[in-house]
Amino acid sequence: MAVAVEHPLDKYVRTEKLPTLWCPGCTIGIVMTSLLRAIDQRIREGLLRRDQITFVGGIGCSARIAMYVRFDSVRTAHGRTIPLATAIKILRPEHKVIVVGGDGDICAIGGNHLLHALRRNMDLMIIIVNNMIYGMTGGQVSPTTPLKLYTTTTPYGNPEKPLNIIRLACSLGANFVARGSATHPHILQQIFYKALGKRGLALIEVLSSCPEIFGRHIGITDPVKSFMTLRDKIKVKNNPSLDESEYDWEKGFVIGVYLDKDDPGYIDNLSLLYKSLRGF
Amino acid sequence: MRIEIILSGRGGQGILMLGRILGKTLARYTSYYVAGSETYATEVRGGDSRVDIIISDNEDEIGYVRARNADIAVFMYPSLMKNLSRYIKRKAKVFIDTTFIDIDSLREYDWTIISEPYTQISERIFGTSRVANMMILGHLIKETKIVDPEAVERVIREEMPSKWHDINIRSFRYMIDRK
Amino acid sequence: MRIDYISGNRAIAEAAIASGLKFFAGYPITPSSDIFEYLAEELPRRGGYVIQFEDELASIYAVIGASWTCSKAMTATSGPGFSLMVEGISIAVMTETPLVIAYIMRAGPATGVPTKTGQYDVFQAEYGFHGGLPIPVFAPSNPQEAYDLTIKAFNTSEILRTPVVLLSDASIANMFGKVLIREAGEIEIIDRRSIEILRKKGCEWSLDDVYEMKCVGDGYDIYVETLTHDEKNIYRPTTDVQRRLMWRLYRKIINNREVLFEYSFHNYGNKRCRNMIITYGSTFSSVSEAVRELNKNEEDFCVFKLKTLYPINEKIFYEKTRDVDKIFVVENNVGLYVKEIRSILRDKDVISISVIDLEYPDPDEIVERVREWL
Repeated sequence: MAVAVEHPLDKYVRTEKLPTLWCPGCTIGIVMTSLLRAIDQRIREGLLRRDQITFVGGIGCSARIAMYVRFDSVRTAHGRTIPLATAIKILRPEHKVIVVGGDGDICAIGGNHLLHALRRNMDLMIIIVNNMIYGMTGGQVSPTTPLKLYTTTTPYGNPEKPLNIIRLACSLGANFVARGSATHPHILQQIFYKALGKRGLALIEVLSSCPEIFGRHIGITDPVKSFMTLRDKIKVKNNPSLDESEYDWEKGFVIGVYLDKDDPGYIDNLSLLYKSLRGF
Repeated sequence: MRIEIILSGRGGQGILMLGRILGKTLARYTSYYVAGSETYATEVRGGDSRVDIIISDNEDEIGYVRARNADIAVFMYPSLMKNLSRYIKRKAKVFIDTTFIDIDSLREYDWTIISEPYTQISERIFGTSRVANMMILGHLIKETKIVDPEAVERVIREEMPSKWHDINIRSFRYMIDRK
Repeated sequence: MRIDYISGNRAIAEAAIASGLKFFAGYPITPSSDIFEYLAEELPRRGGYVIQFEDELASIYAVIGASWTCSKAMTATSGPGFSLMVEGISIAVMTETPLVIAYIMRAGPATGVPTKTGQYDVFQAEYGFHGGLPIPVFAPSNPQEAYDLTIKAFNTSEILRTPVVLLSDASIANMFGKVLIREAGEIEIIDRRSIEILRKKGCEWSLDDVYEMKCVGDGYDIYVETLTHDEKNIYRPTTDVQRRLMWRLYRKIINNREVLFEYSFHNYGNKRCRNMIITYGSTFSSVSEAVRELNKNEEDFCVFKLKTLYPINEKIFYEKTRDVDKIFVVENNVGLYVKEIRSILRDKDVISISVIDLEYPDPDEIVERVREWL
């Protein structure tokens, strides 16, 4: 008989909602664990308060992270997380507001909101779990699907060039831009740890492997093989340059922190403007 | 009792302000019911503007917020005059700014016309055309006595930024005090 | 308490402030923008926030987010903007998020005549979002009603945890009137946090289907669920749970019809009311003049003005129309809301008088069209 052992991170998980809906071999769980470890570290160091963390998730496999963590969690419609999170941050500026979603959720249907949050340097942590496909709806093309790839809605191959999220985020004025990979959880945890300490917008793209859906399209459905295929494409760099952010399935991906600055965020600018008005 | 007022001019002449000051004075300092409407072209500068104000001692009589039989009218510009003339009573008191309106063009109407080159006077006396609207308001109140001039002055103070009080009140008093 | 002479839009903004508005998110659209602009100037001074977002989608979700911090939140828009917001309204219905949308109708469809009026969107306001659960819709017909109904809209949204639409139009936006403005303290302002007190002490509202709302920052485990959920807020994809949820959300509004249904009845001194005109919104202005004309010939007309379009209290309809021979429904569209009225008054002669007019409909036209039926 198996003995139930409490996982050290269980205190941050809505265990009543388990098991997760993620497929066997899915790496979103690694992303969630790395994030919870980073949060736990910050809480233990007294740098973050548990009751001042809000998760906002939309629709999609990765957005479910917001459903499983035991913090204040708000779920909403597909793509609409960022404006909702923005309002929460404005009214609860002491909160660390974390938006989690997939490439489709945040970059396609929510793309306009992403653009404006970046421009505003909005004080949010935005985690885009990029599995390069629409997983929950069964394998349709996403803005980050590699060129020419078969998907259920591009049966003759994807004619579109994929989006380089890193380049977009760097060009629009976010304070912190990084790419991590579920295949490198320690580095991912470090990136999350850093991002949690930032003001302004912190955007983290996390590459993840999806053996069940994306794997089927590339012909690698074995979870381990799928994981190793992505792992082999990852190059780790310290402070990579923007040119190294190139997003190309064939050439592989460079992970690391692409941008780390400390410009005033939206909340700083807003409170400065309102200070004289209200006298506080 | 239902008194109807039509005010018309061109964007920038201050017709909306004239209407609001008059409306607020009636609302705050008389026991009358008062209602009205504004029509203006928001998408272009210098478009026509029209303000209707309805006054009554009976609430049921001010439901319709458009003048159909105006007792009082102001025209600071001629563009809407022909169109609106069908909503103005015979012998109604009609105030005309002859800076922009040719007095001969009024022959076809059976109105009691009160005319002055308000804009020109305003420019000459106050160095700006922007207070011509208050000069007309003063004249309107002098001739119709629908409200106490002191109340209008109070509303000007309540509604306008303080640096504009003096010039607007002086312009408002100009016709009232003129012998 | 003070008296002012203000427009319908200004009245909405003043009432929102008096109701304790803390957050406004919006996107400019004629003829609603001056609500936005006035609040942008006033609210920050009083500790609130007014933010322009990238579109109406962002605006409605920002309002939802704000509401989940237990701050009173609203937006203002017109037809095309509301069309973008309907997705979020459905989310707000499911998540039982209090919020107020000032919907200032303009002439459509499409971009129509943006500065001019119409009552074309009554059904979009009531039913326009997916899920088939209508929300309260209040329709003022003058600035004083705009003020009073805005306060009612906020109180309703807080008490019943629901989005509420305040349906005005371009004519009321620029209609002026004497408005009695009461400050906070002079009016009953209800906060969602006082629902439990209200429940205990008893009130006119039916609160059986309303749950207490915990907000972001109240602890660390609030969970806002957009999926079908049971009473414990757990996702359950079963017919049984779906039924319970749907009926509860439906009952929550409809069981409060007596409190929510507002109207005014004008018999203009007539003893009987042989002919009745039912109308709402800015069209009332023209109808009131038309009726003065009609009654001159002893036609015996009265007016039943609706200030609530959903939910309707059928009992009042039956009472008011008991001795009426003919009922005319006058509206500035192709004849929409008349369908709702016909579904209630099935044994009555309900005549649709649709007057499509970019301005206040001409009272003479109404008189003429009504006389055709006498």
